[in-house]
Amino acid sequence: MASDSLKRLLEKRDDPYAWARGWKERTGGKVLGFFCCLAPEEMIHAAGALPVRITGENRTISKSGAHLQSYCCSLARTGLDMALEGELSFMDGTVFVHTCDTMMRLSDIWRLNAGFAVHGDIVLPVRFEGPSAHEYAVSELSHFKRKMEESLGPIDDDALNESIKIYNKNRRLLSELYALRLENPGLVSCDEALWIVTSSALMEKSEHNAILEEILADLKSSGAGSEPDGRVRLFGIGSVMDQWDFLKMVEDVGGTIVDDDFCNGRRYFDTEAPEGIDPVESITERLWERQSCPCKHRTDRDRAVCLAGRVAESKAKGAIFWMFKFCEPHAFDYPHIKKALDDQGVPSLNLEIEQGSVSIEQLRTRVEALIETIRGS
Amino acid sequence: MSAEDKGLLTSKIQATEQMKQLITNYYIEAKTTRLPEGTHKPVCWITSGGPVEFLIAMDVIPVYPENHGAMCGASHIAPELAEVAENMGFSRDVCSYARLDIGAAVTKGGAIPGGLPEPDFLLCCNNICGTVIKWYEELARFFNVPLFLMDTPFIHKEKPEHATEYVKKQCLELISFLEEKTGKAFSLDRFAEVAMLSVEAVDLWKGVLKTAEHKPSPFTCFDAFIHMAPIVTLRGTQQVVDYYKLLRQEMENRIEQGISAVPEEKFRLIWDNIPIWYEMRSLGNLFAQNHACLVADTYTTAWAIDIKIDDPLTSMADAYTKVYLNISIDLMLDQLVALMEKFSADGLVMHSNRSCKPYSLGQYDLSRAITERTGKPALIIEADMTDSRVYSEAQTRERVEAFIESL
Ligand code: SF4
Ligand code: SF4
Repeated sequence: MASDSLKRLLEKRDDPYAWARGWKERTGGKVLGFFCCLAPEEMIHAAGALPVRITGENRTISKSGAHLQSYCCSLARTGLDMALEGELSFMDGTVFVHTCDTMMRLSDIWRLNAGFAVHGDIVLPVRFEGPSAHEYAVSELSHFKRKMEESLGPIDDDALNESIKIYNKNRRLLSELYALRLENPGLVSCDEALWIVTSSALMEKSEHNAILEEILADLKSSGAGSEPDGRVRLFGIGSVMDQWDFLKMVEDVGGTIVDDDFCNGRRYFDTEAPEGIDPVESITERLWERQSCPCKHRTDRDRAVCLAGRVAESKAKGAIFWMFKFCEPHAFDYPHIKKALDDQGVPSLNLEIEQGSVSIEQLRTRVEALIETIRGS
Repeated sequence: MSAEDKGLLTSKIQATEQMKQLITNYYIEAKTTRLPEGTHKPVCWITSGGPVEFLIAMDVIPVYPENHGAMCGASHIAPELAEVAENMGFSRDVCSYARLDIGAAVTKGGAIPGGLPEPDFLLCCNNICGTVIKWYEELARFFNVPLFLMDTPFIHKEKPEHATEYVKKQCLELISFLEEKTGKAFSLDRFAEVAMLSVEAVDLWKGVLKTAEHKPSPFTCFDAFIHMAPIVTLRGTQQVVDYYKLLRQEMENRIEQGISAVPEEKFRLIWDNIPIWYEMRSLGNLFAQNHACLVADTYTTAWAIDIKIDDPLTSMADAYTKVYLNISIDLMLDQLVALMEKFSADGLVMHSNRSCKPYSLGQYDLSRAITERTGKPALIIEADMTDSRVYSEAQTRERVEAFIESL
């Protein structure tokens, strides 16, 4: 049984920006959109503004087709479409982090066409290793901070340290949620769990912390002593996963995603920023230590090895790759990761999708087949 | 890549034979280096925008999978190689250079008999795209060799000081990497010498391209695509300098003798993006038949490296970060406008290349902006540089003809 706090959270799934609009009305503060979870949200938060994540949505493109070719990922295409249609007009600006080639060009196109007052670019290093890259990352983040101060007002160290603490608390609470689900995934369904994480990037962080504490308390009391419901444990791999109907279908056919590598899932909250050191260093340090994303290069961390290890730890019996069509970083990593899972005897499913044309019925057959394979073995 | 042999309407360039020899010798050295009678130089695979001067200065043989990709595209074997990678699980939507290269590596196939010489190590520079990082990570796994990534931060509006600093530091790291891999000491003098040869070759190459400013133009960009091979693969060596002197002379002679690349040049156009390698011949003929000469392009002009002798490392770091694909659309637009003006172009032909997102995303905006700024029309052709399976010849022909008609 979903707790009241969770219910209230779930009500907003169809209107994810309701909180941001409400916040803006209430406080008169500035709202800044961002796409990638490598964005230093704490800096925006410390300036008194609200960072809000844009993840595209299921829609038929109208305006962005004049700017982006059909072989561009749907995250960029639908995101730009929302902006050009004025649906993000409550935002005062947008921040882009250099990840893939698509994001880098989207930033240009967005700046030239979408008409937001504030535009930030953060060109983080692509090598996430070695002292020169680390030093560059610190300089680039400081540079970004100065740029943001020009539009948002001063970001002093105390405020930034405070924001880091609030964000760390959120990370801790979300980790707790995942830990509870790893013990007993039946406590809360995977679509709800992922929405809890996703909503964190859509509202003011301390507000989210308060709701999360209530949810966790409810889950702990209601779930005490209950046994796992026998759903097949799965692991999710990909970038953004916000297809709630898909996740509900997975639960319907007897599976559940117990842990993941989604950037609006585990990758959003894993690893805390160290407290008590220079705040920009701290933010950099966290980026360095986080689970690696396919857009960043590290020789000492093979994503396939890391993921195969995490799949084993999570006791998942199968994996689902959720890939945006035309997304190169993820597509390149796929064969290598799949092989590592195969070697470990973990069957997987590769779902290549575009937002706006996801057919749950077609996917159902494939997910059912995966679950049958697992149950049969 | 001998499009000249195959009945092009445009006139044949004499220097082509020398170039073929140059490239053949280069591949022979690379292929035989490990044999007892070979030169025993290590082989390094490098991206097209990579700082090759370091390799040349350290006596390492650079091998360019992208150049090989172009050869495979031109000889119509790209789709079958790409399919090998697709069967391994690589999506059909990733860059076809990467797909066909992985396919060629696995099968030891491609346009070079027995495949490209295997690498001892890899040098990847992301100043052309992020794709190369993923591609080279896969190569590093496949060949089980070390990979050096030269990370050149993308320039959105201005290039901050710390970005140049970062690239410069990586140049030093690259030097240590090469010293370790080759067991040789790096010599700054030797490096400066190579860098100067590189600058000289690039200047000569620019000189060759400049002859197309003449009306009528002595060559088309289809020629430039073929004759760019040495500047990509062998810059930093004396042979390339000699070669481009020869080629420039031939172009100057053409101008003097009134030889034009296409019969009765009426329209002058600029090409944007990587060539459609498997269609060079028929596209070349199509434009020539319609008296349109593609006088310049954004692809072959990309090798405009400027290196200063008094501080080669800093200027290298700067030059390699500022390349065409590593700058924002507005900065690209300025360069495109300048190119149109310099070559008195009547229009722009853009190849929307589904393999190459950094080159192609933004073209829709650029095409409109170009018309606004110069008053000249732009045409967009949808294709892929080597994967002919996604290309429609009839449709392209129709669109090109309609475009030229409208001029
Ligand atoms: S990483 Fe993939 S999904 Fe994300 S913007 Fe880039 S191409 Fe699109
Ligand atoms: S074609 Fe484009 S995406 Fe492919 S390697 Fe070249 S620059 Fe990169």
